[in-house]
Amino acid sequence: MNSISEIAKKLLDENRVSAVVGYSIGSLPNKTKTVIVKSSQQAEKLIFNNLCVNNLAIYLTKSFRLTTQKPVAVVMKGCDVKSVTGLIQEKQIEREQVFIIGVKCNGVSEDGKNLSPKCYSCKLQTPKMYDILVGEEEEKNIEFKNPFSDVEEFEKKSLDERWNFWMNELEKCVKCYACRQVCPLCYCEKCIVDKTVPRWIEPHTSKSSNLSWHITRAFHLAGRCTGCGECERACHHNIPLSLLNKKMAKVVYDNFNYQAGLDDKAKSPLADFKFQDKEDFIR
Amino acid sequence: MSRIGVFVCYCGENIGRTVNCSEVTQRAAKLRDVVYSVDYKYMCSDPGQQIIKDAIKKYNLNGIVVASCSPLMHEKTFRHAVVEAGLNPFLCELANIREHCSWVHDDKRNATDKALDLIRMMVEKVKKNLPLDTIKIPVTRRALVIGGGVAGIQAALDIADGGKEVVMVEKSPSIGGHMAQLSETFPTLDCSQCILTPKMVDVNSHKNIKLYTYSEIENVKGYIGNFEITIRKKTRYVDDSICNGCGICIEKCPQKKINSEFNTNLGTRKAIYVPFPQAVPNIPVIDKENCTYFKNGKCKVCEKFCDRNAIKFEQTDEFIKENVGAIVVATGFDLYSIEKERSDNYQGYGEYGYGKDPDIINSLQFERLLSASGPTLGEVTRPSDGKIPETVVFIQCVGSRDKSKGIEFCSKICCMYTAKHTMLYKHKVHNGKAFVFYMDIRAAGKNYDEFVRRAIEEDEAIYLRGRVSRIYREKDKLIVKGADTLIGKQVEIAADLVVLATAMLPQKDTVPFAQKLGIGYDKYHFLSEAHPKLKPIETNTAGIFLAGACQAPKDIPEAVAQASAAASKVLGLCSNDQLEREPYVAYVNESSCIGCEFCLQSCTYSAIENKSIVNSKGELVKKVAYVNKGVCQGCGTCVSICRSKSIDLAGYTDEQIYSEINSMFV
Repeated sequence: MNSISEIAKKLLDENRVSAVVGYSIGSLPNKTKTVIVKSSQQAEKLIFNNLCVNNLAIYLTKSFRLTTQKPVAVVMKGCDVKSVTGLIQEKQIEREQVFIIGVKCNGVSEDGKNLSPKCYSCKLQTPKMYDILVGEEEEKNIEFKNPFSDVEEFEKKSLDERWNFWMNELEKCVKCYACRQVCPLCYCEKCIVDKTVPRWIEPHTSKSSNLSWHITRAFHLAGRCTGCGECERACHHNIPLSLLNKKMAKVVYDNFNYQAGLDDKAKSPLADFKFQDKEDFIR
Repeated sequence: MSRIGVFVCYCGENIGRTVNCSEVTQRAAKLRDVVYSVDYKYMCSDPGQQIIKDAIKKYNLNGIVVASCSPLMHEKTFRHAVVEAGLNPFLCELANIREHCSWVHDDKRNATDKALDLIRMMVEKVKKNLPLDTIKIPVTRRALVIGGGVAGIQAALDIADGGKEVVMVEKSPSIGGHMAQLSETFPTLDCSQCILTPKMVDVNSHKNIKLYTYSEIENVKGYIGNFEITIRKKTRYVDDSICNGCGICIEKCPQKKINSEFNTNLGTRKAIYVPFPQAVPNIPVIDKENCTYFKNGKCKVCEKFCDRNAIKFEQTDEFIKENVGAIVVATGFDLYSIEKERSDNYQGYGEYGYGKDPDIINSLQFERLLSASGPTLGEVTRPSDGKIPETVVFIQCVGSRDKSKGIEFCSKICCMYTAKHTMLYKHKVHNGKAFVFYMDIRAAGKNYDEFVRRAIEEDEAIYLRGRVSRIYREKDKLIVKGADTLIGKQVEIAADLVVLATAMLPQKDTVPFAQKLGIGYDKYHFLSEAHPKLKPIETNTAGIFLAGACQAPKDIPEAVAQASAAASKVLGLCSNDQLEREPYVAYVNESSCIGCEFCLQSCTYSAIENKSIVNSKGELVKKVAYVNKGVCQGCGTCVSICRSKSIDLAGYTDEQIYSEINSMFV
């Protein structure tokens, strides 16, 4: 089995890719950081361990959009590949433009101790799509959780409780838009919040404008969010954004039996119409 | 700087009764940027329009709000007036204070306030209106007629006589449709084939008509003026360019006992056949399922005897592309069957034995028994034993007007043809007795009621007002148990033959066909007209028209009249080089479009494509969405799905809608 750095070295030496996006040892303990390797001398920096939480799909649009004819190689876990699938589906990249170094993942951790929450409901230890595969799959000794379990738990609360919960959470938002910047599927060059004619979302922070931003963001990700959790990790006020995203994912799943990021040929359930679609919302 | 004029209409009492128009006018005058406001009893009248025209010039107005009825009623009128005063028509907007206000409220105070709100919204919108130009799209001046029944034939002939080319597509081997199967027609009792076949011949020989029989519509692309049709020419296994229709192949074919569809399974045909003697074109078709060669790999007798070598066993389906500007759909009807096993959602008639008894037939089968070209050469005999039936019971409304079977509508023509059947039967079997069970006699039409009276009074048909509850066989006879509600008694008739006037339904597979064309259909799958009164020929898709029984049950004169109407619509459309349409189409902001293609997927009209943006060196910079203005119907689905708000609808821009909404919160 080749290691990631060996593969990267070979790809760069053979001039097959313009860069390799991967993980390297971080400057803080228990953290890794992203590295973009462009020459084979640097390839040794590349590592993979259980601290590689980040979803590197973000670099495929925001750093490399059509800048090169040659593909970009990227190190991807099973969950990250779902984002790439979404990007292909939405015509942001072509499959040939990305060389996926798939890694078999046995769960990752944000702090070096506890498993990341997204890993509890992960069934994709081996990526669905890759060009080369590394790593060994181990038996996961964890209890599998329904991906929507926390949403279902939350839905049990009363309307007032839920409303107050979100108003309290969203009040913390300072509109830094880190959640947007870090999201691999928020690839628009001009976001709706930047539009001024008309101005859809007020730029200042207030209860109502924060609400309209977060609702808009969640709606824009409905049927598209793959649940990588980057938005929530990037939020320095720890707003539980995943809960909002998962709620939308659940609505889409319940109504259209669709999960994002599994099929790059699938049509988006919100853009497509099927004759068997429910019409129970028309009353 | 906006200079808006507000024109408030009383619409006689229609608005004035519930809305205080003079108060609305005074308050509207105080709205920001409104420089002139006036009321008038009928703004759509000539003097009313003159007020608008004069005000535009006098006050130098650059935006007009007419507070009156629905834009569907008079938007055109007012925009026309505005143009005459030198303004762009799209700078005129209607505030609907009639349908949306006075007609639906009765509280004058609140209705007056609401009328002002509606005006204020429109004032804010019109300030953001931009002058727009109508869109011109080219027209392919040819038409497609789908279906070669009498409606399709009439439409095709009328269009062709008008000097425009017609492509006719018929799915069966010959044109003629159901009318070719009929014996005589009501109310004149003239021979159906005698009046139809000249028209069939005309179709075949007309220089402007291109006929595709045994062909189906595979695909329809495009829009009004510019449809691209793919036609599947099914395999005949006979080369129609060589065959001269001599019929030797049919004569020699050893497969003799195949049920003839044309004779409603009462007669037989060969495995190579023309459906009926006057078929157009007179080219045989090989029925692959029953052909000995296709079944056993041996035979080819037809090929052996054909001295022109027209038989081609190796033939395959052919796909032909045709470009047309308009489409007439004339796919006709089918009959409801009383069977138990069904492919539709209706119920069969268990009380009539689910159609298992050979002597319980439907009216189309009876037509074939009466017809001189039919399986019995016009002699009325029972299918079971060939005996001449002395008592025939006709039952009307079988399926029709019967909610319990799933069909609520009246099939319209059965009252008339049943009367005709009783007459024709009496003319052939002089000592025969005809009984008719009916619910009501619906004989509205020129000479129609007289015709039914003639059947009863001169030809002695016995009409019994009531339903039949059961039919069962007792030896040689069919016992028909029913009610005569006029004398209030049960009746029992021992009949030799029972004829059911079964409901008219649209052709099978109308739904996928309608979806292919993008036209609407109702719950029975009849194709839908655009407006039940004012647009009975048009469909909701521009450029596609309806003719005949595909829309609703119709008799021959009605189908023919509608076909001619459809033809006149087509000719009207084809008399222009270009079509003008309202400029309410989507447009893309290419700088912020990211090319996710959600709009492309969501567009029901396939009006959106992708477009590559290249730099001066010819390198691809990005791909964006592109709207084909000719196809776009301005529905706005793409606008709502675009996350970066990079697509907008001219005439209904986000900014205009936003201004309207914001005006509500002052």
